[in-house]
Amino acid sequence: MGTGTRRGPVTVRSLRADDDGLSFVLADRDHDVVVDVLFDGRRVWSFWTLRDSEPRGRERHVPWPSALVRFLDGQASLALVDHVSGEQVAAVDATLGSGAGRIRVVDSKGRPLGLDKSLTLSRLFDSRDPDQLAPLLSSIDTVLEALQRCGMDAFLAYGTLLGAVREGGLIGHDSDADLGYVSRFDHPAEVVAESFRLQRHLVELGLSVTRYSGIAFRVNLVESDGVVRGLDVFGGFMRDGHLYLMGEVGAPFQRDWVWPLTTVTLEGRSFPAPARPERLLEAMYGPGWRTPDPAYKFETPTATVRRLDGWFRGTRAGRDLVWEIPSRRRLRTRPVRPSAFARWVRRSEGAIGTFVDLGCGAGTDVFWMAKRGTPAVGVDFKPSHYQSMVARAARDQVPLTFTWANLNELRSALATGAELARRPGPRVVTARHLADALDPTGLEHLLRLARMVVGDSGRLYLQVLRSPAAGPAAQDPRQQLRRPGAEPGDVDALVEQIVQRGGRVESRHDLVESAADGPHGTEPSEEKREVTRVVVSWQR
Amino acid sequence: MATLKDVTQRLRLLHRLEQRLSALEAEVQECRRLNLRLAELIDVVGELLVPIADRDEEGVAEALRRYRESVGGPAA
Repeated sequence: MGTGTRRGPVTVRSLRADDDGLSFVLADRDHDVVVDVLFDGRRVWSFWTLRDSEPRGRERHVPWPSALVRFLDGQASLALVDHVSGEQVAAVDATLGSGAGRIRVVDSKGRPLGLDKSLTLSRLFDSRDPDQLAPLLSSIDTVLEALQRCGMDAFLAYGTLLGAVREGGLIGHDSDADLGYVSRFDHPAEVVAESFRLQRHLVELGLSVTRYSGIAFRVNLVESDGVVRGLDVFGGFMRDGHLYLMGEVGAPFQRDWVWPLTTVTLEGRSFPAPARPERLLEAMYGPGWRTPDPAYKFETPTATVRRLDGWFRGTRAGRDLVWEIPSRRRLRTRPVRPSAFARWVRRSEGAIGTFVDLGCGAGTDVFWMAKRGTPAVGVDFKPSHYQSMVARAARDQVPLTFTWANLNELRSALATGAELARRPGPRVVTARHLADALDPTGLEHLLRLARMVVGDSGRLYLQVLRSPAAGPAAQDPRQQLRRPGAEPGDVDALVEQIVQRGGRVESRHDLVESAADGPHGTEPSEEKREVTRVVVSWQR
Repeated sequence: MATLKDVTQRLRLLHRLEQRLSALEAEVQECRRLNLRLAELIDVVGELLVPIADRDEEGVAEALRRYRESVGGPAA
């Protein structure tokens, strides 16, 4: 919701567009309304005239959303349209960038794209034909039925419920479908454990599930047109007269506003909804939920955010980090060169029963070890990182294993540790620039997993970035370059944590690495990094 | 009329209360985080303990494989 109050039609004057954004003059300086930005007659974006703009002299200025910038080269007829009344309030012919050709905000197949309320560029419902929506409606049915088979009565939630109740259909400026459920448990730990069981049941039914948090996950479906669609399922529960529903709701609520479930109509089909859907919509979007707002921003109270964070979040830390991975072509065709760290580990160890590289990235160290006859396993949080090496290993007939794990989920760390601990020993575990990229929970789980795998016969080898020492070196910008995702840290604190967890630090080596020491040889050649290697064992 | 000394004392008290409140908030959040940890342990123990207690080697391997699958795939 915008912060202002509507007072009749908005008057926008002197609309201008340049490479920075839109500038305009508001006749009434306090008038905040949500307007759609149309490119050649098609909505691409929406913003609030006051909330989302900043003053520049007598004008207001709205920068282009970053997701749009790459398209803004050419010409377009721009129009601002009051979203609620549908009335055009300003227009201008814009020439941006080189000014050549028409600006087309489309995907690689020429299909129209638009920004949703999170300013994420996607194929919005308003640009799809009705027959293109049928697979989505079927997917909603599929997931609802699957959840019901698992004993959970779910219902439409968030934007999908809002569209059904307000318009009987999907909201044009939305791009996905959301489901929710309210657990019969009232303790957060039991609600999480129930969500894990639900996930297990769904996987047993053949569905692919990606977890967001302790009580929210996405079900991934391949639809009839081959498109993979993710449906978000948000768990909730009632406690002390309040409903908490991931990820934005914490409000006084009555059980009979949830149960018995009722039905609402979405695009002509009937779907389950809470007993009093308007109550849930008010808890989600405030009392103004009946007024459309394509630029809506949740204003979830801090107390609710803290509760939901504390109870349920934290399992996805670092998942959005982007790591430096060489091109597929390079990985599939060039000779595989290991890191200096991997060579050093191999020189340091005698016979290795199983080599495990945690945070293996592209998996070149794993491939190199396996090619030398050492049974090797690469573990990473993104399978896309090691896909090229999987293909290369199959082609070159190099026996190795890659597997996925999330060190921010204790379940994942324990199960991965239990599985790897069954492989032949002595087991040597390496983690090159992983301990320095994880949050405290992830680091704790890394050490737990390593201890399980190493047992009492192998070793853990860590390499981390070391905080630059004080003095001239610290001022040298080359010393401050670092791997993406990893942060130079306090090695003494790391060693202390290892010892606290029963580990014995056999040796510690401070050194400076150059690009030639990396596994791929793709880093800038002038880069120097202060790193520390730590060798750890456990005795039981 | 409050003296300068009174005002100083009150400000110090306020500062101490702010510090205690921040510490308390951090401790509450720490307690909340135990819920997720507890649920994860319940899940692991519940799913894996029985085949391990049975000393059923094939059962353990299968339970581990299925359990790891059920923990979920990675985010796209």
